[in-house]
Amino acid sequence: MKRCAGRMGAVGRREFLARAGMGFGSVALATLESERAAAAQTNPLAPRAQHVPARAKRIICLFMQGGPSQLETFDPKPELTRLNGQPLPASYRSADLNLQFMQASEGKLMGGAFPFRKCGRSGLEISELYPELGAHADDLAVIRSCYHESFIHGPALTLMQTGSLLLGHPSVGAWVTYGLGCESENLPAYLVMTDSVIRNGGSSAYGSGFLPAVYQGTLLRSEGAPIQNLSVPAGLGREEQRRLIDRIQALNRSHLAGREDDSRLSARIANYELAFRMQTAAPELMDLSEEAAATRKRYGVGEGPTDRFSKMCLLARRMVERGVRFVQLYASDWDGHGDCPGNHKGNASRTDRPIAGLLADLKDRGLLDSTLVLWVGEFGRTPVMQGDRGRDHSPYGFSCWLAGGGIRGGKVIGATDELGFRAVTDRVHVHDLHATLLSLLGLDHKRLTYPFEGRIRRLTDVGEQTDWSPILTRG
Amino acid sequence: MRWAGPAPSRMLRQWWLPALMSTLCAAATPGVLGAGELWSLRPPIRPAVPKVRGADWVRTPVDAFVLAELERRGLRPAPPAERATLIRRVTFDLIGLPPTPERVLKFVDDPSPTAYETLVDELLASPQYGERWARHWLDAARYADSGGYETDIYYKNAWRYRDYVVQSLNADKPYDRFVREQIAGDELFPSDYSLDGSYVLPAAKKRALEARTATGLYTLGPQIHESNMDGKKIRSEWLTDCADLTGSLFMGLTVGCARCHDHKSDPLTQRDYYALQAVFAPSRDTEVPIVHAMAIASHRQHYPRVLALAEALKALRAFRSRTAGRALTTAEEEERRQLSDRVTNAALEIPENIPDAPGGAWDGFYEPPSITALGHVDPALHQPVRILHRGELSRPGAVVGPALPAVFGNGREKLPDLSDEQSRRKKLALWLTRPEHPLTARVLVNRVWQWHFGRGLVETPNDFGRMGGAPSHPALLDWLATTFARPSGTAGGLGWSMKKLHSLVVLSNVYRMSSAHRDAAAERADGENKWLWKMNRRRLEGEALWDAVHAVSGTLNLKAGGRPVMPPLSEEEMTALRDRWQWVVPFDASEHRRRGLYLLVRRNFRFPLFETFDAPVNSQSCPRRDVTTVAPQALWFLNNRTSLQRAEEFAARVSRDLATAPSPAGAPDRAWIERAWRVALGRAPAAEESRTALELLNEGRRNRATVPSAEGRIALLLFNLNEFAFVD
Repeated sequence: MKRCAGRMGAVGRREFLARAGMGFGSVALATLESERAAAAQTNPLAPRAQHVPARAKRIICLFMQGGPSQLETFDPKPELTRLNGQPLPASYRSADLNLQFMQASEGKLMGGAFPFRKCGRSGLEISELYPELGAHADDLAVIRSCYHESFIHGPALTLMQTGSLLLGHPSVGAWVTYGLGCESENLPAYLVMTDSVIRNGGSSAYGSGFLPAVYQGTLLRSEGAPIQNLSVPAGLGREEQRRLIDRIQALNRSHLAGREDDSRLSARIANYELAFRMQTAAPELMDLSEEAAATRKRYGVGEGPTDRFSKMCLLARRMVERGVRFVQLYASDWDGHGDCPGNHKGNASRTDRPIAGLLADLKDRGLLDSTLVLWVGEFGRTPVMQGDRGRDHSPYGFSCWLAGGGIRGGKVIGATDELGFRAVTDRVHVHDLHATLLSLLGLDHKRLTYPFEGRIRRLTDVGEQTDWSPILTRG
Repeated sequence: MRWAGPAPSRMLRQWWLPALMSTLCAAATPGVLGAGELWSLRPPIRPAVPKVRGADWVRTPVDAFVLAELERRGLRPAPPAERATLIRRVTFDLIGLPPTPERVLKFVDDPSPTAYETLVDELLASPQYGERWARHWLDAARYADSGGYETDIYYKNAWRYRDYVVQSLNADKPYDRFVREQIAGDELFPSDYSLDGSYVLPAAKKRALEARTATGLYTLGPQIHESNMDGKKIRSEWLTDCADLTGSLFMGLTVGCARCHDHKSDPLTQRDYYALQAVFAPSRDTEVPIVHAMAIASHRQHYPRVLALAEALKALRAFRSRTAGRALTTAEEEERRQLSDRVTNAALEIPENIPDAPGGAWDGFYEPPSITALGHVDPALHQPVRILHRGELSRPGAVVGPALPAVFGNGREKLPDLSDEQSRRKKLALWLTRPEHPLTARVLVNRVWQWHFGRGLVETPNDFGRMGGAPSHPALLDWLATTFARPSGTAGGLGWSMKKLHSLVVLSNVYRMSSAHRDAAAERADGENKWLWKMNRRRLEGEALWDAVHAVSGTLNLKAGGRPVMPPLSEEEMTALRDRWQWVVPFDASEHRRRGLYLLVRRNFRFPLFETFDAPVNSQSCPRRDVTTVAPQALWFLNNRTSLQRAEEFAARVSRDLATAPSPAGAPDRAWIERAWRVALGRAPAAEESRTALELLNEGRRNRATVPSAEGRIALLLFNLNEFAFVD
């Protein structure tokens, strides 16, 4: 029970076993000793074997909330620049091209606002918005052909994070934690940080949906107490609280006598230990003062616009170092309806250095090979203009990129049409992206299942999905 | 069975492959299985009560059914729980609160052979009973006070449905009527809602309003409200919610699968599904004032006062924009003060109460109190329902008229004609609540059984279809269902009375068994306790924990009903809220300590304590809550401000109790500790516990502990015990 030991010691083990369809009877008789051993084996958060060889052990998801424009970042469109100011050609119009605030046919085309540069040895094209990230071009695999079905923030975000437009489904991080378990002794497996409110109302974006709640993400605040109720009451202090907990534990253990068959009771005892440790581990995690000045600078800590997000990125590295499996960071707000170039310039100035710093730092520490980094928003933006500088939401074709975790960078997958409106080549649906992420983490999306309401559920819904990982990891 | 949640193919998937469904849905002939092939569609036939060898153990027929299964498997029932355990169990179970120490002592010492029966009657008569069981029902009814998704729109009247449920349960409204009112209260009790010129509402009108309030059920589901969601789509989502909810809540059938294709495992066709939507198609949500006509007149009469306030606000806003971003001159300061006063005075001029209505206050800000409930679409505007190809709104097929699923007719009965637009729901409700309906009573008795025992006779209370669990005790389920639906007075019939059903269950020996009984053979043979050889231990839900902490601290406000409450939250608890103005803390502090049932249920922001303790998401019917054990639960009870405050109040309450009932002199600390144990756990402390508590008390005093005080630490110790959170 080296890692995560007492942690679950038991979290709803009985529930878990019952739901997982395993027999509970075999462990019900366990004495306290063997009970613990059994709990370690059947602990819902115990690290578990992968289905397939894993490229990555953990993942950092950089979620660009609001919907960053592919046309201003990773998808250069010379034809769009040429047709700047002209109406959308008739061939592009169709009844199912719904936008949130405008009719596609009403707007005029607007060329990408920033020039693209060929970066690195690979010559991967990245716009001038992201100069520092450009230096990592050879590590990035850009997918230009993402698409899905919702042009509204809330449902689109829910879809990206849970594979469903509806509430009540587990998030990707919950599925991954369910599939792989937890490697950290003192921290939850799945941590979330945001620089503002999450658009679909928050918890469902990192919730466990119909999976047991033990798999849900824990939201850390980037400032102040990172987890709710983590501060020991001032009038008690840590030592006295320890003595209080010792007594709680002593009485709970007496209560357990004769009730050893109920794993929830011993789980709860174990949880008081984890809770006590988390009170120290979480603030220790959040304390950036021990980081070298050079490291802080590399991320842009304390430097105006980058300060907030740089801290989140630096914390992400500290989390993965401590065995956290799934880190989700939200950067807001890319929703450039009024002035898309202006909005994006501001967002890029807040995120470019922190992201570049994160990639460089992970690499230097030898963590990048085993840590998958994903950059994505809930959708992209339209090539047609909204107002005179804006772009409306577009889920019909947008970009994301992956790095680390076995990804061979400097490549592009898929393409949108000449104007960057719809994904046309090697289209990658959200479910395909999810299947790919799971595969890189060693999980087969068709085998990572859970029975709920009479059906075998999975993150990728039903049907065949394309796993792009062989292509992404090929040299 | 569903495809991807409540509304399967809202995912507009071009590459959907019907063939794959057959691997995911159990392979079966789609759509047209005979009803005879699915046990739950066969009307229940009242089985004979089985003969058992251990007849002396049988107190009620329930016992005979359970014991028969145990005997068949060579298992023996556990001995009865001790009285102190039993009263704690049945009190939490029936009213969701811990028993008072006095009631525990009275029960433990009660020599009467009917001591337990008396206790159960008392609990069922308590107004807190309806609150406890409403919480269960509201989970299944996916109740919330807001619409969810990004905007999480506020449902100002949802609570009236919640109060309707509480009142109906407390009044022991027969379940058939309860169902009918929720589906079709307006159609069953038609009334003109013009509220004729009267100062009082006639009784018939009140009755009609109550029934109509029940249909609020269909107006409080999840709702996407964003720009560019067209009306057609919103309407289609609403009809989906109506059909799915009716299926899961009342019929225990997950009908949603059939939205996209004929059901692969249950005998439901896509046509059946849209025909069920068509039952709701002529309906819509409406707001209906629930005050007498003179109140409406008075509202209109005084309306210029609202206009005066609007003008005062305009003046203040104009001043603010004129002077924005700069310091005010002395004269401007004076002007600002005057303008602010004008706003305040205008607001204070608005009448607070409804003239001549006893206790009648305006709702919100000078609005006539109303319910949100079902009514009818203007017949001229009624849009018929069409089958949607693969569930996609953009691919409409043939028009479908309203009908009940054909399988229910199945050559045995003629299903009612639902074509009349004004009575479709009424006919559905009447058909569902016939005593011989194969599902209605079974589904309900199974839910009640689950809420008593932690596990249903059918483990999937919302799915009595082929993909759901088969009943562990089919004869017991059918005996309970037929007994429940049989008119009272006829051969033990309960006449749909929920309270009588509770009595039948909790008075059984099955219910009274010990949960801590160990039996190696039984544990080997049936570790999950499927055959009920002992009682199940239960972890209290978040709401019950909230109530318990407040109850033992003597601070619980037992006021019933009303607008949902938002108790104060700490800064860190507020962080998950989209906008802070969404959380409005009541001015009256006693409101902060209402029962958990009455706290606001936002779909996008679950109350932090409840979220930690597995409150459902409420996006769809939740038949059964998860029970997880996670570290943040411990952190709440150790460190949360509310926990610490209640701990001090608990300490004060124990001291107060002792002051009014002096204990034997000599050992005041021991007396204090004993009282604390009795209040929190309903029993005296064991010697070891007493010693531990005394150490803690003395240590706190030595350290001159303030907050938490030495006594407060004892309270924290108690709040954090497994025994506090679990009921044996």
